[in-house]
Amino acid sequence: MRERLRELIRLPSQGEYLEIRLEKRFFTLIRIQNGLVEKIRQGVEEGGYVRVLNPRTGWWFTTFSGWENLKERVEESLHSSSLLPRSNTGVMHGEPVEDVIVVPVADDFRFKLLKDKVDVLLGYAQILKDTSPPLASFTVEYRDDWREIHIANSDGSILSMEKPDVSLKFVAVAKKGDTIEVYQNGLAEKGGFEVAKGRENLAQEVARKALALLEAPSCEGGVYDVVLDPVLAGVFIHEAFGHLSEADFLSRNEKLQKMMVLGKEVATPVLNVFDDGSIPELRGSCAYDDEGTKTQRTYLIKEGLLAGRLHSRETAYLMKEKPTGNARTISYRFPPLVRMSNTGIEGGLVSKEELFQDVERGLYAVEYIGGNTALELFTFSAAYGYRIEKGKVGEMVKDVVLSGNLFRTLKKIDAVASDFRWTQVGGCGKGSQDGLPTPTGSPHVRLREILVGGHKHV
Amino acid sequence: MFEVMGIVKKSGLQGDLFLWKAQEKSVEYEAGTFKGYKTEEATGYGLRVIRGDGRMGFYASNSPLKGKELVEKALEMSEFGEKALFEIPSYPSVLEWKNFVDPKVEHIEVREMVELGEYIVTRIREEYPEVLVNLEIVAGLEERSLYNHHEEKLDFARTSFQIAVSVNRTAEDDILEIYAERSWGSRDVDVEDLLQELKRKIEFSKHASSIRSGRYPVIFTPQGVLVLLYPLLYGLNGKNILFGRSPLKDKFGKVVFSSLFSLIEVSHEPWTLGSCPFDDEGVVTQKEQFIVENGKLENGFFDLWSAARLGRVPGGHGFRASYHELPEPGFGALRVKNGLRDRETLVEELEEGLIVDSVLGLGQSNVASGAFSCGIQLGFYVKGGEIQGRVKDVMVSGNVYHALQNIKELSRDDRWIYGKMLLPYILVEPLEIET
Repeated sequence: MRERLRELIRLPSQGEYLEIRLEKRFFTLIRIQNGLVEKIRQGVEEGGYVRVLNPRTGWWFTTFSGWENLKERVEESLHSSSLLPRSNTGVMHGEPVEDVIVVPVADDFRFKLLKDKVDVLLGYAQILKDTSPPLASFTVEYRDDWREIHIANSDGSILSMEKPDVSLKFVAVAKKGDTIEVYQNGLAEKGGFEVAKGRENLAQEVARKALALLEAPSCEGGVYDVVLDPVLAGVFIHEAFGHLSEADFLSRNEKLQKMMVLGKEVATPVLNVFDDGSIPELRGSCAYDDEGTKTQRTYLIKEGLLAGRLHSRETAYLMKEKPTGNARTISYRFPPLVRMSNTGIEGGLVSKEELFQDVERGLYAVEYIGGNTALELFTFSAAYGYRIEKGKVGEMVKDVVLSGNLFRTLKKIDAVASDFRWTQVGGCGKGSQDGLPTPTGSPHVRLREILVGGHKHV
Repeated sequence: MFEVMGIVKKSGLQGDLFLWKAQEKSVEYEAGTFKGYKTEEATGYGLRVIRGDGRMGFYASNSPLKGKELVEKALEMSEFGEKALFEIPSYPSVLEWKNFVDPKVEHIEVREMVELGEYIVTRIREEYPEVLVNLEIVAGLEERSLYNHHEEKLDFARTSFQIAVSVNRTAEDDILEIYAERSWGSRDVDVEDLLQELKRKIEFSKHASSIRSGRYPVIFTPQGVLVLLYPLLYGLNGKNILFGRSPLKDKFGKVVFSSLFSLIEVSHEPWTLGSCPFDDEGVVTQKEQFIVENGKLENGFFDLWSAARLGRVPGGHGFRASYHELPEPGFGALRVKNGLRDRETLVEELEEGLIVDSVLGLGQSNVASGAFSCGIQLGFYVKGGEIQGRVKDVMVSGNVYHALQNIKELSRDDRWIYGKMLLPYILVEPLEIET
């Protein structure tokens, strides 16, 4: 395969940038609902893309099933790209690299008997079933996904990479009259089936939380001082600043570039934010991005000042900066976009307990349902929360959705604790590319005067 | 492919094979400049089998596999699959339908797509030189085939044509993002109407406005109505009903919403992106099916699996998100019954309130209970019947099951959203507004 690719990347003769991706995927889904194996499927998928940037026109991208007729596809792409209109863009070229990335896993799910997988999951379903008082319903969902990827480009790089990914999710539904509470939690890791084993405690906790939510009142709307737990704080920084650091939002918007000049004060000095695709064990990592650029740690905010941004080869070219290894795609069916890898807020100096001490009336917002951004404005939803009164964490509340503004919210962070940790579960959507693994990390963080959506029962 | 189904039949199994083929072309503009062209070809298939003892298996792939091997792979899964309480149906032999394939979309040239892109960019820039325009035009052809163990076959194909435009206006400490789309099965997409919508939104956003926290009437635009529909569609899903995640389980046949509210499935409506003569399980769809009629809950969305377990008649609601997915409850084309008066009148008669066009955090609340709490992405403050300007840093919250009881009026004018849902403007009161 590598020999074939080596020949193909020599085909451009008019200064075109050529990129070829071939991908093979093996996947399993097992979903158990109320103890029934409601869905079980396995499959394989094979396909690729050819992407050409013609220096006189624009991008030509073609994706296909199978790995056949590659030479014809490349030749046709090179020819067709010359017929496109002009786009005034380019790419930052890189050094040629050849590498093979192998990810050893303890218990390779590709060779595991389905029965063994199902048995482990049925064990979790039994735990959820035995909950007292009983749940209205419960789900155990397991996915595994093994990708074998080959990338080659006209800079002379040829890379082969393995990407194993395993996720496990528990959903518990509690019901009382017309009130329905759904709580879910899970995990996802780069690894083998070992990831899905030994999660009995998590299953129990999911059941307990769903039942607890049933008794919790909805949070009243208003402006609160809020302490975010590390999970929600990670989602917060992903939405509040991560997306705006993706340089494709900036590369053709001069006004926004002026607003986002490196060195500008964007947050309080306690805040340090980074993106790092080179931490081997995390799901958002790989030694190279999907354009073959080496991944790295990039500081986005350092002591409150704008320190950097995330680039593909194209945005780096347009903004005359360096690629950062953040060009990522969810599969061969889509071209790489500028995406976060693993994004986090660095740990600070104070203890978690200190964050609560001088909160007169506030909220402790915990875990997440989701987050959403439109550059300036963003929202992020906690799975649940607790009231904070006179420095003490009190009653549990639900329906906690927080809203922020790029220009104001980061300046309201007044304390960052030292208990940093990563959260790997969950994925990010951009354009039509959903579910990209983008772990987030953070310690507990305190924000002053944050807008929280309100529910008042009439 | 009949070969596979022959093996299925000979082995004493029931089964269906779903075959999917898609082609797509698109052009993209970034900040008003041509960015690139994309083309996609994809195929794949999924085989579902049901054994004599009712256990079900499934296997999917996009590379060719011998019939026998494929059946074996699917059977391997069936060891663990839960028993199907249904049978794979026989396909209607007398049914007549036509494909929704527009040759003007199927054979569209790159040049035509580029010309259209240039036209839209130019029209917006002429009037608003300060904004940046991002847009994407997509032309697609999708073919679906179903084969069953009775060795019958069904085919359906449709084209799709989509234009999505986002306009960005960046000023000191203010970023405005406006989005509008038109999606349809044929090339007959009203570009002027799309430009009018963008213009209206840009004009209304010229002034910044503010509102105080409290309870206000809210007009949802057709795009904004998704705030109300998202949790409702979740609640109507047969599997969510079956697994206790829907408050609608024991509400069928009862009046649970405002009598002004009717939700109708219109799956034979020509050229919508939801229309189809049968679903992805071979069950015939209805020309007109009331889901909610004048506030009364009449029907939900049940695929064969959930219909069998709930003792309901499947109404053509089993859809596959891709060839490697099993069918799940879904819907074809939907329509919310419109009202009698124009949207302008609704605004003119509003003493004080909000217009909500798009939100952040859709579906990121407790969807099952119907709760929503969203940041307003694009919304306008109305006072004395006039739009005062755009609001920012405002949240709208409530519960869909209460809000749909409190519908005050629906507009006469309506619009297809994502080519799949025909929605009017809906005035609901009162909702919680926080700022």
